[in-house]
Amino acid sequence: MAFATELLVSALILIGAFFLVVGSFGLAKLPDLMRRLHGPTKATTLGIGALLLASMLYFLLVRGAPSLHEILISVFLFLTAPVTAHMIAKAHILRDGALQNTLPEAPDGAGWATLKPAREDAPAA
Amino acid sequence: MIALIALVPLLGAMLPPIVIRSGRDRCTAVTAVVSLVSLAVLLAQVPAVFSGEPVRTSVEWVPALGLSFSFFLDGLGLLFAGLILGIGLLITLYARFYLGRDEKVGRFFAYLLLFQGAMLGIVTSDNILLLVVFWELTSLSSFLLIGWWSHTPEGRQGARMALVVTGGGGLLLIGGMLLLGQAAGSYELTTILARGEVVRGSPLYLPILLLVLGAAFTKSAQFPFHFWLPHAMAAPTPVSAYLHSATMVKAGVFLLARLWPVLSGTETWFLVVTGTGLITMLIAAWIALFKTDLKAILAYSTVSHLGLMTMLLGFGTPYAVTACVFHVINHATFKAALFMSAGIVDHEAGTRDIRKLGGLRRLMPVSATLALIASASMAGIPLFNGFLSKEMMLEAAAHTALVPSLATLGALLSVAYSVRFALGVYLGPVRDDYPHRPHDPPAGMWLPVAVLAFLVLAIGVAPQLLAGGIVALAGQASAGPVPIPEVHLSIWHGVTPALVMSAAALVGGLLLLAVFGPLERVREKTFRPEAKAMFDAVVAGAVAACRRGIGPMHADSLPRWLAAISATIVVVGATAFFTATYAPGTRDLLPVEFLGVVAWVLLAAACGAVVVLHGHRVLTLILTSVVGLVVSLAFLQFSAPDLALTQISVEVVTTILMLLALNLLPKLTPPEHAPLRRLRDGGIAAAIGLGAAGLAYAVMTRDFTTISDYHVTQAKPGGGGTNVVNVILVDFRGFDTFGEIIVLCIAALAVVALLDSALRGAAARRLDAVRQGLESADAHPLVLVIATRVLLPLALAVGAYIFLRGHNEPGGGFIAGLVVAIAIIMQAMASGYAWAASRFRVDAHALLGAGVLAAGVTGLGAVLLGRPFLTSWHGHFHLPLIGDVELASAMAFDAGVFLAVVGTVLLSLAQISRVEARAEHRPVPEGPLDIKFGRRQTTPTGAPLTTARVDAAKES
Repeated sequence: MAFATELLVSALILIGAFFLVVGSFGLAKLPDLMRRLHGPTKATTLGIGALLLASMLYFLLVRGAPSLHEILISVFLFLTAPVTAHMIAKAHILRDGALQNTLPEAPDGAGWATLKPAREDAPAA
Repeated sequence: MIALIALVPLLGAMLPPIVIRSGRDRCTAVTAVVSLVSLAVLLAQVPAVFSGEPVRTSVEWVPALGLSFSFFLDGLGLLFAGLILGIGLLITLYARFYLGRDEKVGRFFAYLLLFQGAMLGIVTSDNILLLVVFWELTSLSSFLLIGWWSHTPEGRQGARMALVVTGGGGLLLIGGMLLLGQAAGSYELTTILARGEVVRGSPLYLPILLLVLGAAFTKSAQFPFHFWLPHAMAAPTPVSAYLHSATMVKAGVFLLARLWPVLSGTETWFLVVTGTGLITMLIAAWIALFKTDLKAILAYSTVSHLGLMTMLLGFGTPYAVTACVFHVINHATFKAALFMSAGIVDHEAGTRDIRKLGGLRRLMPVSATLALIASASMAGIPLFNGFLSKEMMLEAAAHTALVPSLATLGALLSVAYSVRFALGVYLGPVRDDYPHRPHDPPAGMWLPVAVLAFLVLAIGVAPQLLAGGIVALAGQASAGPVPIPEVHLSIWHGVTPALVMSAAALVGGLLLLAVFGPLERVREKTFRPEAKAMFDAVVAGAVAACRRGIGPMHADSLPRWLAAISATIVVVGATAFFTATYAPGTRDLLPVEFLGVVAWVLLAAACGAVVVLHGHRVLTLILTSVVGLVVSLAFLQFSAPDLALTQISVEVVTTILMLLALNLLPKLTPPEHAPLRRLRDGGIAAAIGLGAAGLAYAVMTRDFTTISDYHVTQAKPGGGGTNVVNVILVDFRGFDTFGEIIVLCIAALAVVALLDSALRGAAARRLDAVRQGLESADAHPLVLVIATRVLLPLALAVGAYIFLRGHNEPGGGFIAGLVVAIAIIMQAMASGYAWAASRFRVDAHALLGAGVLAAGVTGLGAVLLGRPFLTSWHGHFHLPLIGDVELASAMAFDAGVFLAVVGTVLLSLAQISRVEARAEHRPVPEGPLDIKFGRRQTTPTGAPLTTARVDAAKES
């Protein structure tokens, strides 16, 4: 039983570490900001999630004391990471003129929120 | 009890501005009542003073400095206090009628009472340092009074001149009194007065004498400091009448009389004091003779009479001192009456120019009679009180060499200008070209004059009956241990030298007046130094010299200041290091860990990058936040979770606030071109860094006992908490923290004040110019808005948790405050400041105040329980459901810290937002979201809920 627990926790830690490395590597290696954004937001979040899971299991099964800090951390992390990525992407769109020209058209001509102010006569749906 | 004599007017000064709302008469009455209460306290002491009992009261103030709150009353103090209060009452009545309808009478009476209290403090204080305090108070309050008509340049300049001269004298007095206290071995006057021999024998005697005389001469307008007094005539007449008859200028005479037993009796004293007094008396009387402005004549006459009193004190004989004391009374009565009469003339005839006046005897018979009585006294005509003291003066002068003839000359000039005053204004033919048709003023204005004129006559006729007792008492009090001769004031002493001199002065004065015309023409042609021009030149010179001396050091260049401060530290530190012996520390070094190396490399790289990239402001900020992060990791590594938490939260808050502030500034700093300067700055920085590193190394490699052992062992039993850091903050060093949160609040107010200049004027225009136009179309993106709103309760819960556990585990009010502040900043950034502010309805200023108040009240709670300020209290409670709870009063204190921190951050945020909004040129959205939903929501009235407000804002 103890071995199985340790195996599980170790596996989770390794998975977490792997995704952290992947995320960091992506941040360093990918060619432009939009693609680089994937690294620290997606892969790293997944990695940290695995680490938090490992920590929870460790405290619950090995120490015998349930720890809830990790849940709080996950909530904060899963809430902030995508929002941060979203904001960085918006700032990037705003600053990069060449990128703006390659953006696809938004449906029914609403435009990109970052670039075009909301229309006054938005259709009531 | 006698402390009340001075304290009642000082505290009562608060009443008139309040009472003025219920009318001018009631305000005057309240002012008079305040003086009357003080007078009643004074009079209650009269029997004790006359029976020779010591009347003292004393409370320790700053015993370490020899400063105590001690008062005493003897004959001299009684006489002066009586004059100050008596004439003060008359002035109050007079001012009620003198001041115009639109004058702020409440404020005037407040200043008057303040001044009265300060004067009473001078004449009743026993401690010489306390006397200095009151002395300075008279300078300040007289500044307010002299500059009452601050809309006139004469008023402002006169007040400033008076303040500079008398305030400068006050500085001399501080020095003199400190030395005197040293020489005498005590700061209590009663003790010092008994140690005259010791002081005169001390090597400090000469400096003491010169400093004290400097103070007395500036205050009493003695040559060559006499020039401020005539310029102080720009004040309203009640002020002149009060300051220059009975009070302000008499303070110098009082000081000399008070310290007479200690300082007088030496050659220097006689030469300096008599000489100065004599010169002042003659010069001022000579100038007075030629002045045409009534108040100027009276001003120079005052200076002359002050010279007379100073001269009498200089003689060093007990008889002369008695004469001086008597003349103080007489001069106060007739000069106050004359000033008030001049004010009446000014008020009724519309001019104070003696050339435009004359014949007022027929037009305003009552006030003319009173003024003539007073001027007869000033001239020294028999049956008026001025005659008596002048006789005593001449009698005293007759016993010295050379002085008699000069004293007679002074008396002669005094006769001449008095007669000219009387002739020019009241006698002579009635004219028809007065600016106003003169008539007697309301009784309220001439009644005070009548009281004084009655005294002038009464003392003149029956001197021994009315003034003998107090003069003998005050003279003896002033003369100290030396017994004064039997004083018998009477009009007729037989044909004495004094009578002959007096008669000569009378005749000579009239003769002089007969040749006044030719004399004036001669005087017009001779050179006369202009005191005001000289004074202005000296002041301008001093200002220019200061500018030249200080200007280069105080250039508005932050780097230069930093360089100077840092270089000084380097030089001092290096000198200490290289001139002393140094031994390396004895502690073993810890092994280097891999993580430590990584953090160190990161730290060093970030620092190096800042040096290279410091031109990019935002990058620099991010790099410095790396430093903060590494430091907080180091704290964690060395088991200081509190510090780490604090460091991280501070780091976050400052980074956000600075980012917001940087948004207003250009993105790049201008590059420095001068390579020499860069080299210099780099050198200094490197030296400072090496020094700090060396210092840290030296400290960390040594074993020594610190106070932290005590803190660690006492945290639980003494402070009731297991979190040592928090217990130190809120308990062991609570006073420190209390001071720090006050500093924090002041810093917040400074942020407001400094950024306020960015809202308007040149700074605002510059801001607009550097503003970059790149702005997102959706200022408040939906995702961010929703996320921060979800996070808000979570963040607040974390803040509350950290606060509550703070006393026992890492946390506390400071960190909790920062966390809550971050939560609120987050809302402001996501949803817009206006949105956040409209929902956070507590004023940040109020938070600041509440924080300091909560901390202070907690501290005072301990005082109420008889413990020292900020002693904490703690105990265990058993609550149902929750269980055993430990509560400490320190928690309330911590709440104060919490509020102060939140208030500081929010106030800074609010001010930055105000500036941002100004720079944005864009209305701040007021709705809950500025994003359009597909479906348009409507209010019950049918108006669109969200967009309408934005539209309205855009249109406006």
